[in-house]
Amino acid sequence: MTLGISGYGVAIPRLRIKREDYAKAWGSFSAAGVNEKAVAGFDEDMLTLATKVSARALESVPLTPDKVTRFAFASTTPPYTEKLLSGTVLAGLGAPGDTYATDHISSTRAGTEAMLAGFEHLAANPTGCALVAAADAPMASMWDPIEHAMGSGAAAFVLSGFATLAELEGSASYVSEYFGERFRPREEGQTRDLNVKKFSEGSFVTNTTRAATALLKKLGRKPEDYAHVVVQQPDARAPASAAAKLGFQDPQLAAGMVSVALGDLGAASTPVGLAAALEASKVGDRILVVSYGSGAGSDALSFKVVSDRKPAFTVSKEAARKEYVDYVQYLKLKGAIR
Amino acid sequence: MAHVSVPMYWRTIPQRYRLVGMQCKKCGKVNFPPKGVCKYCNASSEFAEVRLSGKGKVHTFTLIGAGGAPPEFAEQEKAGGVYPVTIVELEEGPKVIGQMADVNPKDVTIGMPVRAELRRIYEEEGVVRYGFKFVPLEGGA
Repeated sequence: MTLGISGYGVAIPRLRIKREDYAKAWGSFSAAGVNEKAVAGFDEDMLTLATKVSARALESVPLTPDKVTRFAFASTTPPYTEKLLSGTVLAGLGAPGDTYATDHISSTRAGTEAMLAGFEHLAANPTGCALVAAADAPMASMWDPIEHAMGSGAAAFVLSGFATLAELEGSASYVSEYFGERFRPREEGQTRDLNVKKFSEGSFVTNTTRAATALLKKLGRKPEDYAHVVVQQPDARAPASAAAKLGFQDPQLAAGMVSVALGDLGAASTPVGLAAALEASKVGDRILVVSYGSGAGSDALSFKVVSDRKPAFTVSKEAARKEYVDYVQYLKLKGAIR
Repeated sequence: MAHVSVPMYWRTIPQRYRLVGMQCKKCGKVNFPPKGVCKYCNASSEFAEVRLSGKGKVHTFTLIGAGGAPPEFAEQEKAGGVYPVTIVELEEGPKVIGQMADVNPKDVTIGMPVRAELRRIYEEEGVVRYGFKFVPLEGGA
């Protein structure tokens, strides 16, 4: 049986802030290539967003919540740092309590970690059904340049061996020891970055290209075999450095470049990017997904699109529904002034 | 602040998180929130659980602003501004009260189609109290 994606759903919070508003407040905007970004509402958090996308992903199949045998939640900004988080989503969906559920919360790689956890479950339980939800709104001090790119978004996938619209061809990972880039010490609420740019870029390119190269080698593929490549987007320029080194061209990156209009989506970056690539794809297309988490590690997943079925809630539809806030409103919503 | 204890809130999770109502076995009407005795026929306390669609129409609404929010919603009003509180007539019949989100308060109208989704309602003692709010139907799940 071939395992793959049977359905997916996307949710983007409705509020946006433009790069010009940052430029007005700070004199510059440090998120390369990002034009505007999505901002979560005061009453939204990563569990409400995860519940919303999970319901949408199930409806897109369609599948009722009682069929879910595995659930995985991914985010770097959950509302609690200790307390099981998945239960909120499962209670919101009405999914069974005997679902094995895990929270993946320590790295922006968490979105693909959760997907791979879902596929591992299916490898052992081929008639099961895994639901994976990534929702994030990364947060740093307003003084920190890495804050500029930080947006918000969510995507969920139903993974199973039935009614697949994209088949998983394989995966590979790479993990290594790096530090100083995007980290949050135990006693702190804000993500930090020491801004050692070249060193961080080295980590990004090394980890992503090693995971991707290993996967291409395993599958006997070349970059030109792929219609789309989705790479982690701390900003809208980072993916190009890794993609170019792997031999991909800019047009292959275009469909999945969600950061241009939504910002850095953290653990939801590659999941939302994958949803955008699926939306743009046609039967026969191949999609390569390469996540990255500082610290550092990367997962690469290869999909082959086998159905033209599209969900009701796509990235383009969600990105188009928006209302702008100014920088002061943004600070209030983020709790930066209170 | 309108205090609702943790165990009391916990008992109402099915209705607050996913709109589980009670259908009267005698008259067939749906009670939401659940009641001990059917509020429609006053003649039965036997119910079957039924999950409501969450879809409905705005029956009436008001806007809360200018410092008029109760304490548990004061921070929300300060940070997010004026917010609408609606009475929604659900497809299944019951009329329920709830905040409206994802909408410019100026755009709320009587009769507008809405759908419920899970949101943060307020926080007490460090615990997030989740529950449903209504959002415009086209943006709903």
